[in-house]
Amino acid sequence: MIVVKGLCKSFGKQEVLKGIDLTVEKGEVVVLLGPSGSGKTTFLRCLNFLERPDAGEITIGDTHVDCKSVTKNEILQIRRNTAMVFQLYNLFKNKTALENVMEGLVTPRKIPKIEAEEISRKILKKVGLGAKHDAYPSQLSGGQQQRVGIARALALNPEVILFDEPTSALDPELVGEVLAVMKKVAKEGLTMIVVTHEISFARDIASKVIFIDGGVIVEQGTAEEVLFHPKEERTRQFLKRILPASDYSI
Amino acid sequence: MENIFLLSLFIDCFPKLLSRLHITLYIVVIALLFGMLLGTYIAVVRLYKVPVLSQLATAYVSFIRGIPILVLLYIVYIGLPLVIGAFGVNINRWDTMIFVMIAYVVNTAAFLSEIIRSAVAGVDLGQTEAAYSVGMTRLQTFRRIIAPQAIQIGIPALGNTIVSLLKDTSLAYTLGVIDVIGVIKAISSNTYRSLEAYAAAAFIFFILSSILEQCFNIISRKLGIKGTISGQG
Repeated sequence: MIVVKGLCKSFGKQEVLKGIDLTVEKGEVVVLLGPSGSGKTTFLRCLNFLERPDAGEITIGDTHVDCKSVTKNEILQIRRNTAMVFQLYNLFKNKTALENVMEGLVTPRKIPKIEAEEISRKILKKVGLGAKHDAYPSQLSGGQQQRVGIARALALNPEVILFDEPTSALDPELVGEVLAVMKKVAKEGLTMIVVTHEISFARDIASKVIFIDGGVIVEQGTAEEVLFHPKEERTRQFLKRILPASDYSI
Repeated sequence: MENIFLLSLFIDCFPKLLSRLHITLYIVVIALLFGMLLGTYIAVVRLYKVPVLSQLATAYVSFIRGIPILVLLYIVYIGLPLVIGAFGVNINRWDTMIFVMIAYVVNTAAFLSEIIRSAVAGVDLGQTEAAYSVGMTRLQTFRRIIAPQAIQIGIPALGNTIVSLLKDTSLAYTLGVIDVIGVIKAISSNTYRSLEAYAAAAFIFFILSSILEQCFNIISRKLGIKGTISGQG
């Protein structure tokens, strides 16, 4: 379970997050929507301390931290309870697909290599890359790289996987294969927090949709509620701009 | 008319020059070894922006890179005994080679620190974030992810620096060190001819530089085969 209370973050004088509260139950898939600059990616990056929040409390699994007094060890603990999938994949360029997946098991978690390799091979197979073990990131397509990125996150068996616009950098024809993998893992009961503009993913998979604007949560609810019956004017305006015409003419 | 170029003398020069080659190589190896240590330290101080030390390091690098090696040699040779002498320690009797080494270490460290710093800074920030996101510590991230990629980025520049260093050692003779160039002085005062000896030296330096260049080409290619830095990221 994940509990966030009063999360604040400023960059200089720019207040990006103005006190975010959020609870995510185990197995939930939460989709964060919002215009660019609304703070949704910053919020995601605060959860694993890639950005250092200025204030607030975060509980992930059995680790509870107060952001004002967080220690190095607590940050490490939080990071070892989470995993992240990046917009630009960020695969380790000096490692093969298999090594990319193994790295998080072998180096930080000290799992023996043989065991780590077995886990990693299984997971690469699951994301449909069983034949690409020895390929370096530069030899893979964007979609394949992102699937390795998902495999790297899955291997860690974390409390939650944070997805930061995982399909935004992909060619349209490659988006499908990545979304398919994400749907597959969502159905297996993994907890996911996803920043995305893929409304179809939110509609089909999300157990909760959250609309963020101006550093605050404007509205939250089920996909049905937020996407098709939004209460707030700001949510309506945003959806109008991004929903394809067919979606709301029906 | 006098012979412009005595082939026999040219050939005779090789054994004499090569007999002092170890001095030249010795300077190169020591300068690289200690220059690498000091250079890494300076690079780390600057990369992590350690207060005070970082500003000092920046000033050091910019000063050393801005003065000719010949001037640096004399400053170390004349200045160091005076400075240390002020503390009551007499180092006037130190071997000249020690002053030469210090000058080349000081010089090489400045250049290497810049190579190391830019190579590390050249590794995409996303790599660090990804390593943190899987739970790696700062040290693990550096050792497993950043360093291997930085080495790949820095290798070509390192090769250039070593070739430059090899050629720069040719100024050590000005302090009286008998290296490859120092021998030329001896040969020309014995034979009243110097073109042959200089030509032989040119040949030796050219061959050495070519070998170094080839080595670094091979290393670059070996590392590059992994195809890791190039390509879409």
